[in-house]
Amino acid sequence: MPVVLEFENVTKEYRSFASKRRLRALDRFSLAVEAGEIFGFLGPNGAGKSTAIHLAMGFMRPTGGSGRLLGEPFGHAGTRRRVGFLAESVALYHRRAERLVRFYGALNGMGGTQLENRARQVLEIVGLQDHANRNAGKFSRGMMQRVGLAQAMVNDPELLILDEPTSALDPLARVMVRELLLSARNAGKTIFLSSHLLSEVELVCDRVAVLHRGRLARLGRTADLLQAGERSEIVARAVTTKDFDGAVARGGIVSFSVPSHSQRTALEKVWKLGGEVVSVNPLRRSLEEIFLEVTAEPESRSSEGVQ
Amino acid sequence: MKPVGLIAVNFAREQRWPILTLLLWVLLLAFLGLVTDIHRQREDLLFVFKQDAIYVLAFSVFFGGSAIYNERRSRRILGVLSKAVGRQQYLSGLVLGVTIACALYCFALGLTGSWTLGGAGFPISRVWFLMVCLVTACTLAGTVALMFSTFLNPFFAAGATAMVLGLPVLASQILGPRWNYVIPVWELGATVLNSSFNSPGTASWLPVVLAAVETLAFWLLSARIFAYVDIAVAVE
Repeated sequence: MPVVLEFENVTKEYRSFASKRRLRALDRFSLAVEAGEIFGFLGPNGAGKSTAIHLAMGFMRPTGGSGRLLGEPFGHAGTRRRVGFLAESVALYHRRAERLVRFYGALNGMGGTQLENRARQVLEIVGLQDHANRNAGKFSRGMMQRVGLAQAMVNDPELLILDEPTSALDPLARVMVRELLLSARNAGKTIFLSSHLLSEVELVCDRVAVLHRGRLARLGRTADLLQAGERSEIVARAVTTKDFDGAVARGGIVSFSVPSHSQRTALEKVWKLGGEVVSVNPLRRSLEEIFLEVTAEPESRSSEGVQ
Repeated sequence: MKPVGLIAVNFAREQRWPILTLLLWVLLLAFLGLVTDIHRQREDLLFVFKQDAIYVLAFSVFFGGSAIYNERRSRRILGVLSKAVGRQQYLSGLVLGVTIACALYCFALGLTGSWTLGGAGFPISRVWFLMVCLVTACTLAGTVALMFSTFLNPFFAAGATAMVLGLPVLASQILGPRWNYVIPVWELGATVLNSSFNSPGTASWLPVVLAAVETLAFWLLSARIFAYVDIAVAVE
């Protein structure tokens, strides 16, 4: 798969003019996003996610390293014609929603009936067709976010870079965005999604990266990361909860978890006690657990943990 | 060129309230033309005309000095520069936007000036020449302010602009009147201020041409500085 977004040893330091202090937001950060995937970009507040996105969009320059967006160096204006971007806090001009979407489309070189039709279409996709003639500057935060999504999609981009696209949306709208992302991927688009809503990321993302203190702490396929649990759950009959640490009983069935490496010993113990093994399942972790694990790691450990 | 035009029109649209407020002063001139004897009150009319002319110069600095800051503070700049718009195009759009805003005002002032001052005996061609001087001066002053606003907040940008525009005037007091042409905003403003019914003045295009060339130079300098600015970071 071709790489559409690539960071190579990117470092970004913010320097305060007044206090002469330096803050390293990204530290030798490398990442490659492949075409046709939904890529989840996670990390706690201040981890450097937005900085990485702003560097990719050319809003700022890296202090060190380099990167490419759709094969061109970061900051190449012409390339952005093929990119759709939604910022974390959407700010809109006080214009009618449809005119606003057309304005952004026109900035990308679109025009005529093609732009008019496309503007109407994307407003319909985000469920704002009935509000197309209202002043977008007076919309609620959720509606503004939807207009933001519409302007990001107006040029039918190959790559969508979305920074917290669902943070202000209600559950219904979140489902709409989820379906929109999946259909965009099915149409061959790439989506780079930064979000704190881990359950959403878990549902839609093919691969996930976790950023911590400006460094890549985890990277892998979502399914692999979730199944990379180091414990197994054993469900057995005809044994008691006293025989196993942390075991719980329900309706004559006892279940307990053991580290994967001692799974065999535990099974043999069940049989030795005259019990019957009902099932053995690797314990599936949630992204939340992985996220908490990464953010609890000391600085040196988190940078070593890239898979 | 299309993005430049779109950004310019959008900028002028965003400044519609200050522009409308400015146009109220032009209406004052038109009102005086209606209610006074323009032949007997012509000096008063010329005074109001000159006053209106100087207001727009101050507003051009205000427009230029706050343009980037407001866009960065509201983060609307991210929406525009996430499209296929280069930073030079963005700045060009803002310079053109400042020019459009000031030109709208100067056009209205020119119209009412032609009617009132022209009726009182002031050459109408001179009124329009003064408006050309004023628009050129506004564009240059706005571009200087815009250059400072790429890295300063509006208050400091306005102060720095006033210094840059004022230093040649100070130098001209000590070293001679030629220094007025170094950055000819004051020279162009003085062309308007020194006009009178008795001596409307002659059309000297040198400061106009100089101002146009310097606008280009300051735009290039702004583009050079702005290329290195982290626009997603708030101005300190």
